[in-house]
Amino acid sequence: MILEVRGVGKVWTIERTGEHHVALESVSLDVAPGEFLIFLGPSGCGKSTLLQIIAGLEAPSAGEIRFPAAAAGGGNGKLTSMVFQDYALFPWRTVIANVAFGPEVRHMPRGARLAQAQRLIELVNLKGFEHRYPHELSGGMRQRVALARALANDPQILLFDEPLAALDSQTRRVLQDELLRIWAETGKTFIYVTHSLQEAVLLGSRIVLMTASPGRVKRVLDVPLPRPRHLTGRAEADILDRLDADLSDEVKRALAS
Amino acid sequence: MTRTHLRKAGSVLLLLLAWQLLVQTGRLSELFLPAPLSVLARMWEMTRSGELPWAVLVSLNRVLQGFVYGALAGIVLGLLAGAVKWIEDVLDPWVAAVYPIPKSALFPLFLLWFGLGDQSKIATIAVGVLFLVLVNTVTGVKSINPTLLKAAVDLGASRLQIFTKVILPGALPNIFTGLRLGAGMALILVFITEIEATKAGLGFLLWEAFQLLDTKQVFVGVVTFGMLGVASTWLLQWLERLGCPWVQRSN
Repeated sequence: MILEVRGVGKVWTIERTGEHHVALESVSLDVAPGEFLIFLGPSGCGKSTLLQIIAGLEAPSAGEIRFPAAAAGGGNGKLTSMVFQDYALFPWRTVIANVAFGPEVRHMPRGARLAQAQRLIELVNLKGFEHRYPHELSGGMRQRVALARALANDPQILLFDEPLAALDSQTRRVLQDELLRIWAETGKTFIYVTHSLQEAVLLGSRIVLMTASPGRVKRVLDVPLPRPRHLTGRAEADILDRLDADLSDEVKRALAS
Repeated sequence: MTRTHLRKAGSVLLLLLAWQLLVQTGRLSELFLPAPLSVLARMWEMTRSGELPWAVLVSLNRVLQGFVYGALAGIVLGLLAGAVKWIEDVLDPWVAAVYPIPKSALFPLFLLWFGLGDQSKIATIAVGVLFLVLVNTVTGVKSINPTLLKAAVDLGASRLQIFTKVILPGALPNIFTGLRLGAGMALILVFITEIEATKAGLGFLLWEAFQLLDTKQVFVGVVTFGMLGVASTWLLQWLERLGCPWVQRSN
């Protein structure tokens, strides 16, 4: 296992009222190296919180996150990198300076980190845009920069927090294919949060369906289908059907609460 | 030349021409409104004699020193207050108390403390600039998208690196806003502090002329102050383009 999630829970305290809100409850899960794991659930089910806890950006209220491979000395220091939904690019840095940010703060020599950034920019098909500022790029291009920046630290696990949710459907399709290509090329573990059932079925090698608040694991489903996948395919439609009712239930519960 | 340019140039030229004619035909008294050409002539005279350049240099020295000290203190305190909660808590009551005071009202105090020389004037200007820069810098730090801070942490930045590589550039556009407002404030304050207790400077030159009812020289002072204001705005805009090339500007 590359990652073990053990009984993770998260309780938020709402400052104004002093009330407690249980965002996550006893989530346990093992992630194998090279998986494309999907967390699927309605908005507000705590899946983004779980991702932030895995990234070490939030502390869990209960349970723990373990990286057994790193404990065995398999890591290079940085284990996870996050791709955020709103890109989170530094507006004052050009594309190449954004991509090189991680290596820069880790004191990689300038020449080496720029050469590496250049390679990654080519990997995400942004050659020619190295010296643009983020506001000069389209949403899809920005998300590619964010992906290249996350890859620059050479993490073992990439965390995606609804990275394509803000994009139009056509751009989303193109980027879904590119994500699959990069996942296959790099052999890294992808953990991907989405509320889209279709996206989950197109991308995931395993889908973890979450319940609405508090977020718990409702169901784990292997998707052993070959890629490229098509939503109209029989096997795909079968999996969509099996998840659809469950997800609808959770969306209704999320709306009711 | 577009239509807009023509209208603007025409507006200025026509008004100046009408003004000049009204004075020359004796319909306006030179005592109240000296003709543009005679103001220009006086300006040239005072420039050749060295009187005007000297006054400008004396005032610029006070303005620049006050501006630099005030701006540096404002930026440093503003970044710290914006980034570190306890520093903000410690500074906040003082900012709230001193910010609304017209800084010219502090000049008598500074005269008492620092004497009649340049220091009291520089201190007044510095305090005026400091608060404008401080308040805008804090706003700049607070306006930084929190996800950017998370992304920096996620990519491995240390606390110091977050400060220098995220908070400082993130606040920079607002810092420049503070600097522009501060430059205007510095010119106002240098005039006020040069009315009294000095024998040199552009404010002194203007105020002395008024007391002698030398209206031409009053106009020379007013126009020179205007030119300094325009020059400082241009300089700061140029620095801002250099320092914040990513900021989208209209027009």
